[in-house]
Amino acid sequence: MAGLELKNIQKTYGKVEVIKGVDLTIKDGEFVVFVGPSGCGKSTLLRMIAGLEDITGGELYIGDKLCNDVEPRDRSIAMVFQSYALYPHMTVYDNVGFGLKLAKTPKDVRDQKIREAARILKMEHLLDRKPGQLSGGQRQRVAIGRAIVRKPEVFLFDEPLSNLDAALRVDTRMEIAKLHADLGATMVYVTHDQVEAMTLADKIVVLDAGVVQQVGSPIELYQRPTNLFVAGFIGSPKMNFVEVTVEAVDADSITVTSKDVASLRVPARTEGVDVNSLLTLGIRPHDLLPANSGAIVGRVSLVERLGNETIVNIELASGAPWLAVLDGDQALRVGESLALAAEPAKAILFDKDGKALLAPIA
Amino acid sequence: MRSRASLFGGIAAIAATFVVFVIPFLFIILMAFKDKQQSALRDFSWPNGFHLFENLYEVIKTRNWMMITAFINSSLITVVSVTLLIVLAAMVGFVLARRKTKWNGLIEFLILAGLMIPPAVVPTIWLLQGLKLFGTLHGMILIQVAYNLPFSIILYRAFIATIPRELDEAAVIDGARPLDVFFRIILPLLWPVTVTNIVVQSVGIFNDFTNPLYYLPGNQNATVQLTLYNFQSQFSTAYNLLFTNILLITIPPLIVFMFFNRQIVAGMTAGAVKG
Amino acid sequence: MTASAVPALKIQRRSLYPGWFYAPAAVVYSVLFLAPTLASLYFSLTRWTLFDATFIGFDNFAQFFREPFLIQGLVNTVIYAVITSGLKVVVGMMLAVMLTSQIMARGYLRSVIFFPVLVSTIGVGMTFTVLMHPTLGMINQSLALIGIKGPGWLVDPKLALFSVALVDVWKGVGLATVIYIAGLVAIPKDYYEAARIDGATKLQNFFYVTLPLSRPATATVITLSFIGGLRTFDLIWAMTKGGPGFASDTVASVIYKQYQAGFYGLSTAGNVVLFILIAVLVVPLTMFLNRKQGFE
Repeated sequence: MAGLELKNIQKTYGKVEVIKGVDLTIKDGEFVVFVGPSGCGKSTLLRMIAGLEDITGGELYIGDKLCNDVEPRDRSIAMVFQSYALYPHMTVYDNVGFGLKLAKTPKDVRDQKIREAARILKMEHLLDRKPGQLSGGQRQRVAIGRAIVRKPEVFLFDEPLSNLDAALRVDTRMEIAKLHADLGATMVYVTHDQVEAMTLADKIVVLDAGVVQQVGSPIELYQRPTNLFVAGFIGSPKMNFVEVTVEAVDADSITVTSKDVASLRVPARTEGVDVNSLLTLGIRPHDLLPANSGAIVGRVSLVERLGNETIVNIELASGAPWLAVLDGDQALRVGESLALAAEPAKAILFDKDGKALLAPIA
Repeated sequence: MRSRASLFGGIAAIAATFVVFVIPFLFIILMAFKDKQQSALRDFSWPNGFHLFENLYEVIKTRNWMMITAFINSSLITVVSVTLLIVLAAMVGFVLARRKTKWNGLIEFLILAGLMIPPAVVPTIWLLQGLKLFGTLHGMILIQVAYNLPFSIILYRAFIATIPRELDEAAVIDGARPLDVFFRIILPLLWPVTVTNIVVQSVGIFNDFTNPLYYLPGNQNATVQLTLYNFQSQFSTAYNLLFTNILLITIPPLIVFMFFNRQIVAGMTAGAVKG
Repeated sequence: MTASAVPALKIQRRSLYPGWFYAPAAVVYSVLFLAPTLASLYFSLTRWTLFDATFIGFDNFAQFFREPFLIQGLVNTVIYAVITSGLKVVVGMMLAVMLTSQIMARGYLRSVIFFPVLVSTIGVGMTFTVLMHPTLGMINQSLALIGIKGPGWLVDPKLALFSVALVDVWKGVGLATVIYIAGLVAIPKDYYEAARIDGATKLQNFFYVTLPLSRPATATVITLSFIGGLRTFDLIWAMTKGGPGFASDTVASVIYKQYQAGFYGLSTAGNVVLFILIAVLVVPLTMFLNRKQGFE
């Protein structure tokens, strides 16, 4: 088994920098998810690890081996593609066994390995079919089977669930998690779906514009995002933001206010923050509660009643659109005024560069 | 009312196409059944007896069984040049569709040029003579390959563009080398276009008259089309033999047509629309 | 700022799409097609015996535009191409509309119309030479039955080229038809339904929906048959050999005649003339036919 080490990895196409120096350590057996908006470079980074894209600069180690110029077949990796990329003219059996055949594995060993993989994935009955005769979920299985039969040190997944319907996506997600638990192999998984990232990952790498924004466990990213981008990207619905003015600075908290927010004292790192300077306040929709004396007041513009919870769109005095997810069914009416309270410990302040002013962990 | 109009329309269409397109072929067949005297009348009449087999025998043994040689030559030229065309065109189409470089523009230009520009005949003969290929079947085969490559490449390129690139990449991850990717993944997937290519090019090359006329002079390497042309003067008074000969060389395309109608139409329209 | 860590020299890994795949095709194509084409530019300026070539400047070309029979070949070529491609467009379109409608025996009609495309041009030419004989030919004998005195299709100098062109259309219209069928089938039904709701008649349907939307097919048919018409040789050679006189000569048949006569330089000049003719006529034509339209 092997971990991965990326040292200042870069990728340029002509003059366009796609990956701008990524440093990353992935431990043996870890499940790492690359997440970010489309075009952030996450797939490119994965394809560089696979060896499908040349590495423009930096060093890639798989295990202890420098792999920049190693052919994909010698990197002990396997990859599951977004479109599954099953060979349409081969049966499932031959699809799964193609890599072994190329490696000139003896026929009986090959047969045994293919059947073993089929057993793990419960697809023994599909072995004689061609990909065209399979459903989306079955193709997905075959694609994974093709990966596990090679016993790779590192599994690479490139948005493997995006072609499945919603229900199947949840099932397959759980199966991949189970597969990771059973095989204990290192897995690198690319997705744009932050729910997949949150549920699967030991460690999430958030990328934007070719730069790693933050690396951490899912909960860490949710509770302590280091910047506005991560705060906005992780968590659904998106975190609410509003611009605020600093009213007072204490040793371990900052009191802020604005047209929309009556003064709110937020625990934060305070170095370099001056009174009257401008900050951005971020509060997650789930952290808002209706309260008559609430600090945040707005006008209800849309109510979505789901029964177990109520999603309320409100318009603050400054015109900023906010969202609150309230427990239970709340019979609110469009146009009425609503006051919301926020738990200060869960609010986050960001400086004008977008950096989070996180209070040190007590 | 409407259905009666369309019924009449249908009958009219069948009758008109029968007169225009079927009667000429019936004429060929009837003539091939006649004896020399009756065929001299050149009319659309029932044969006075069954003379097809004697006519066939007569045509085949003319000029020392030249028809046999011609059929062998034509088949050889067709089979070998189509085989070469398939392999060479698929290779070019594959790299052309997959690899974007600054040369692509030039290559596409050369392909279009090959479709449009008439071959420069005499310089080609001069060159073939220099290469000792003039008047040989080898030379003829290479000429057919060179002249028909652009069309085959266009067919292949268009099809390869529809094969997802992820398939190549999956094969690479599986440990395939470039030749494995081409021969084990791409080439098998190209089978439908390959059939189209085989059929369309075979018919074209088998029926080709102009190029053998220039590049295969002499009786020894004659093709079936050349033989028909050369027999024209010899059979000028024996229309039954002339039309037996025409019937004979119409049979191979007819067989191809009966089995591969769909592929031919697909290939000709696809290639045309892309070209 | 980050370049410092990049090793200066990198080994380019082997490409998945090897450039040498071009090589065999490139060799055959360059040697047997490109090289002679380029060489023709030089040899067209020479008096040439295949063993030695005397440079004579543009004399061959001058001759091409001086000798009446050569000029006629040039004019005939253009007339032939215009007639054949024009008729193939009109007839091909009509047949395609017919064959995509609810007509009976569609399979039979389609096969019968398409089959001549696959038949040997020489065979077709010879058959029609017999059918078009002024007195003994079946066409004129049939016309005589209904009291019409048929023309001398191939022996009348005013008619010979036109007659060959008709046979060309007979043989080639099947291809135009299947191209049009492919084009017509690709037109979404919604347009016809929308037009019907707007109250369009069948004729209006054809002129306002079918005709404009099948333009790519029209472009293909015209380009293909126009190039084919300009290059045509085998049918003319099988039917009239350019005769009577030079009445049905085209550039391609002139090239062959000059080659037979041993005027290799002149023959090659004919090639260059044909090449230029195609370039001058076809390039603007395709640009016109494939011009971008607002709705595309």
